[in-house]
Amino acid sequence: MPRLHLGDWVDSGVDWLVAHLSWLFDAVKAVVEGMYDGIDAVLTAPQPLLLAGILAVLAWWLRGLVAGVLSFAGFALIDSLDLWDQAMSTLSLVLVATLIALAVSLPLGIWAARSRAVSATVKPVLDLLQTMPSMVLLIPAILFFGMGVPAGVVATLIFALAPGVRMTELGIRQVDAELVEAAEAFGTTPRDTLLRVQLPLALPTIMAGVNQVIMLGLSMVVIAGMVGTGGLGGAVNEAIGQLDIGLGFEAGLGIVVLAVYLDRLTGALGTRLSPLGRRAAAKARTTAWSHRPRPAVAVACVAALALVAGGLGVFGGPSGTAEATGENVGRGKEVKLGYIPWDEGIASTYLWKEILEQRGFEVTTTQYAAGPLYTGLATGQVDVQTDAWLPTTHAEYWQKYGKRLDDLGRWYGPTSLELTVPSYVKDVNSLADLRNKSAEFHGRIVGIEPSAGMMGLLKDKVLQEYGLKGSYEVVDGSTPAMLAELKRAYAKKQPVLVTLWSPHWAYARYDLKKLKDPRGAWGKGDGVHTVARRGFAEDNPEAGRWLKDFSMTEQQLTDLEARIQQAGKGKEQDAARAWLADHPGLLDKWAPVDGGAADSKAAAATDSRAAG
Amino acid sequence: MSARLEADHLFKVFGRRQGEAVERLRAGADREELRADGTTAAVIDVSFTVDPGQIFVVMGLSGSGKSTLLRMLNGLLEPTAGHVRFDGRDLTALGDRELREVRARKISMVFQHFALFPHRSVLDNAAYGLAVQGVPRAEREKRAARALELCGLAGWETSWPDELSGGMQQRVGLARALATDADLLLMDESFSALDPLIRRDMQDQLLTLQKTLKKTIVFITHDLNEAMRLGDRIAVMRDGRIVQNGTAEDILLRPADDYVASFIQDVDRSRVLTAGAVMDTSVTADAPLCRCETASPTTPFAELCAISARVPHRVSVVDGAGRLVGVVPQQRLVGFLGDGPADPVPCDAPDGKVAAHA
Repeated sequence: MPRLHLGDWVDSGVDWLVAHLSWLFDAVKAVVEGMYDGIDAVLTAPQPLLLAGILAVLAWWLRGLVAGVLSFAGFALIDSLDLWDQAMSTLSLVLVATLIALAVSLPLGIWAARSRAVSATVKPVLDLLQTMPSMVLLIPAILFFGMGVPAGVVATLIFALAPGVRMTELGIRQVDAELVEAAEAFGTTPRDTLLRVQLPLALPTIMAGVNQVIMLGLSMVVIAGMVGTGGLGGAVNEAIGQLDIGLGFEAGLGIVVLAVYLDRLTGALGTRLSPLGRRAAAKARTTAWSHRPRPAVAVACVAALALVAGGLGVFGGPSGTAEATGENVGRGKEVKLGYIPWDEGIASTYLWKEILEQRGFEVTTTQYAAGPLYTGLATGQVDVQTDAWLPTTHAEYWQKYGKRLDDLGRWYGPTSLELTVPSYVKDVNSLADLRNKSAEFHGRIVGIEPSAGMMGLLKDKVLQEYGLKGSYEVVDGSTPAMLAELKRAYAKKQPVLVTLWSPHWAYARYDLKKLKDPRGAWGKGDGVHTVARRGFAEDNPEAGRWLKDFSMTEQQLTDLEARIQQAGKGKEQDAARAWLADHPGLLDKWAPVDGGAADSKAAAATDSRAAG
Repeated sequence: MSARLEADHLFKVFGRRQGEAVERLRAGADREELRADGTTAAVIDVSFTVDPGQIFVVMGLSGSGKSTLLRMLNGLLEPTAGHVRFDGRDLTALGDRELREVRARKISMVFQHFALFPHRSVLDNAAYGLAVQGVPRAEREKRAARALELCGLAGWETSWPDELSGGMQQRVGLARALATDADLLLMDESFSALDPLIRRDMQDQLLTLQKTLKKTIVFITHDLNEAMRLGDRIAVMRDGRIVQNGTAEDILLRPADDYVASFIQDVDRSRVLTAGAVMDTSVTADAPLCRCETASPTTPFAELCAISARVPHRVSVVDGAGRLVGVVPQQRLVGFLGDGPADPVPCDAPDGKVAAHA
């Protein structure tokens, strides 16, 4: 069979689209971002419990008292888990994706219901969009729309579109043909036939489609979290990356609360909207628990709560973290830091967020998977990332995007890649010892993502070098899965052989043994580099210089990592600030300002004197 | 009086190469030949006229093309060839918008399975046609309520279609058709889905309404008894063609072919025939000149039998002006109850003794 170069065509097609249709993507991006920002602003403006109250009244109105009480409890739970902002950003994302999906799928479904040709064309396209693995769509979405919400919304949208179109078409086609004929026989225009007969009767089916759209949208938020949409999806990804089962469960529970709420609410909305559903509901016996307020009461409740919310919103000041001290070099200039949820990445990113904010920059930090992060840097969506493992681990990304990036130099190193066993595995100390020991490890090396550079190195070179090929199978998986496997085996004191690298927190948490590599098959270690988008250092000469000159010792890094781990989720920057405060002089060493240091010290002295 | 509705050589062909198919049908090809080529001829060369105030029944079995024919009359289906004229206007030449206007104001329709909108109340259903015309709510509800009252549904306005029995639902359908004050009513097997007793009621009600409303009605049915009861004229369709078009008596007494004849075997003639159909018009010279009871040409057969039993001789049939138009001998009455009029055969025992053949 000749090799069909389909992939190449897709590649060049995507390149062409990026080059020629960027105006379109920019427009779409602007619309999506505008909608998202608007909805998110509204949702995050009031006090969480007030908004929970508003959402509960909606549930009470549409479904009854029990639903109202449970929704309030659910949202209060989210708030008490400190996930309110993430939940609201996820809710905004889902709402935007749903609105756009409906704006596309309803007309398309109606069109498909009226024309067999359209129906036959649309069907395979929908199949393709729905079944194509969503990660495959995510990378082109980043190229088109950049990192963040728009790419996430578009990926969600594409995935969630299909049921909207299908159910609309089905609903309309299911309407009794004699009814449509009756409408026509009385001289109804096609438009009125649609509006007065077909849509009202198709409404229950269409609403089932809307419900499906929302549910699929929610199921996509975790994947969308990988491209920096933040929200609960981001929290879940972060938790997975850190093997933080508790946080993962909490964020997952938040998604469940949102899902159940939206599911029940859209179901009830379908009943309220459809004339037949309204009749059925009116016939049903009402009890105290299913009692629903009249619309006027519900509207009044929502309005009252909204007014209170608005009032509090006006008087409650924002609680920011950024306070510039010393010389204001940044003058509010924005710097976008991206990071992979690896410990040294988190530590250095929040360290620099604190440093840059103290120097007057506006800093945003967003978490990404490695691939999207490099794509974001290459397209200028992200300014800087501090966790590039070069030249080996991130070699593929560097090969692809290196020409569009600036390497600001190594700040930590060398790192090393290795195979690791728990210390209780006594008889294995070096890679050479692994020969004839495959039975002990069931012939398995627990690997990480097959795309990771070290996996290629392991399969192609390391096993070869030590004659282990054939006796060991490298299990492809993911970093969290590998760590979970390590944790499980460690708890039972079973022998286990994993791929690992240093620095890694696992070495601090468990008693592990790096297998020696006498033949140097893993190669020399990487350095952890800071990488910026092309031109960042020219645009921000001071910050560029600071980042270029930055370096950390192992002592400093592990100390900072430990601090951050101790402080816990959501307090990374506080930990970095405290750590900086404990190490006076580092700030001025890493971010020197001409004369600024003296001034700030003087100012600090004045302050303390005034306080005293 | 000019015709209200005229069908002029209508053809309806579904499938490929329709124009060619019509040419072949005109040249005498039959349905089966065309079916082999993937074209279906539903209606073939149908022409008829309907006078104002008339009930025109199209009778045929399923697949005979009667429903397709009906849908061409109000433009729901466009004829492949031929013309439909309504009050002298060629509907086939109208654009979509004008055609909708005609359907909204002049022609309404009653469906086999009622086709009531389940998401509208009875009143809103009856008012639907008026809503399409853009009649203001208050007025259309008044008119719809009046139409419902005519159909015997006063007091059911706020009910929903699924709360009504089949017969009542079809009354709503009828009210919906009547509410627009359309001149032409198309009824597509409208009573076929009802059980027999209800069906009779509905037929009676339609006839009662027709006495006062004097609509022009085209009624589709597969039931010849219904056709005979309702129809001023009846067209019998078979395989897309009209095989006979005439009054109930024409069809009963002079079936055009064996197909029609096979249909009328099951018909209760005594319900259909009248004195005018049964009477002997050739022997008026020696008609009785007594003052005995007489019949009129419209006297139903059953009543004629009753008169004949009371009168010792032939019954005279007298028209509105008192002129004698025919006579009905008793023997002829009995003959009609049988297979048809028969001339008496001479008896070999003229004294009237009853003899048994050995």
